[in-house]
Amino acid sequence: MAELFAAGDDVRTTRVDPSHHCRLPRYARGAVGTVLELQGSYRLADDSARGIPAEPEPVYTVRFQAQELFGSGNHVVTVDIWESHLAPAKGTSDER
Amino acid sequence: MSDDHHGSAAAIAAHVRHVEALLEERGLVDPTELDRALVAFLARSSPAGGARVVARAWSDNAFRERLLDDANAALPEVGMSMGGGLQEQRLNVVANTDTAHNVVVCTLCSCYPIALLGPSPTWYKSEAYRSRVVRDPRGVLREFGFEPDPDVEITVWDASAESRYMVLPRRPTGTDGLDEKHLTELVTRNGLLGVAAV
Amino acid sequence: MSRINDVGGMQGFPPIEHELDEPPFHADWEAHVFALNRALLGQGVYNLDEFRDAIERMPPEEYLASSYYEKWFHAVTTLLVEKGICSATEIHGG
Repeated sequence: MAELFAAGDDVRTTRVDPSHHCRLPRYARGAVGTVLELQGSYRLADDSARGIPAEPEPVYTVRFQAQELFGSGNHVVTVDIWESHLAPAKGTSDER
Repeated sequence: MSDDHHGSAAAIAAHVRHVEALLEERGLVDPTELDRALVAFLARSSPAGGARVVARAWSDNAFRERLLDDANAALPEVGMSMGGGLQEQRLNVVANTDTAHNVVVCTLCSCYPIALLGPSPTWYKSEAYRSRVVRDPRGVLREFGFEPDPDVEITVWDASAESRYMVLPRRPTGTDGLDEKHLTELVTRNGLLGVAAV
Repeated sequence: MSRINDVGGMQGFPPIEHELDEPPFHADWEAHVFALNRALLGQGVYNLDEFRDAIERMPPEEYLASSYYEKWFHAVTTLLVEKGICSATEIHGG
C-alpha cells in the first residue's frame, strides 16, 4: 500500500472530536509534528471498534514538541497515528 | 449505578465466578484451560524477560543494533518473543543515551509490551500517570526518585496504536566486569519503562 | 470533548502511587478476569478495539471510581450482553 507520508514530513493531525472510539488522543488533535517512522498498516481502530470493515492503512510515529501540544515544556512526545488522522502540514495555514 | 462494580472483593470475586460458569455452560471457556493458559503466560512473560534482553544488548553491540533496528526479529536470540498467544505486536526498543532519555506511556488505555513483560504495574495504568507524564515528565520522574540531568532531552512515547515500546536503559558505570547473568539482575521493570535510570 | 479514558495532558490528577515489587495480580479474581478476557478475545467473541470501546463507554464517574480490573470486568460483561452470548438478567441477576 502506498503511504502518503515519509519520515521527515511535517504533518498536521485532524481536529476530529467523534463520540465513538478514537485513537487520536485529544491532546494531539490539530497539532503539527514530524513523521519519525512508519509502524506498518493496520485497520483503523475507530472503525474496527464499531464493527465497520476497514482496510489496513499506514500508521506513523509522529514526533511533537511539548510546546506545540501544551504551550510549555522542552520535552518531546511521540504519538502513533493512523493516516486517516493526518494531513500535510504545508498548505493548511487556513486551519486553526 | 448498581453496586455491581464497587462491592466488596468477595462480591466481585463471586460475580466473576458466576460469569465464568455461564460461559462454561455455553462451552466458551474451560476453567482448567483458563488456569493452564494463565500459568503458562505468567511463566513466559515477566520483567525478567525484558531484563535478559537489556543485559544481552549491553554485552553484545551487534545484538544491540539488531534490537534497535527490528526488536521482533532480535528477541528470539534471547528466547523471547512478542507473540503472547494473541496476535504478535510490533515492539520498538528505544535507547537512552547520555543526552536522551525515553519514557513509555499509553494515555488512552494501558498498552504495554505484555507478551514480553507480563501484566503492567498499577501505576502505569493509573489516570495520574497517564494524564501527567506527557505534560510534565520531569515532575513525574521526580516522584519515582529519578532526576535526569537538566540538559538531557526527554521523549515520552505514547503507545496509541498497535506498536508497543520498551526502554533500553544505559549500562551503569562500573559494571564492566559483570557477565550477562549479573547484568540482568541490575535491570528493573521501572527502568524498562523509563521511570528509573536502570 | 473526548471520552473519560482520554486523559493525556489533563490537569489535576494526584502524584503517582507506586508499589515496590508489585505482583502481577492483587486478587485471584483479577487473574480470572484477565484470563477470561484473553480467552474471549482469542475466540473472536469480540475484538480488542471493541473491548477498549466498552471500557470507554462507562459513565465517567464510574470509570474514575473503578479499579483497573473492575473496568475490564465491566467491559467483558457489557460485550457478552451486546453480542447476545448472555442476557443482562443472567449476568446481573433479576
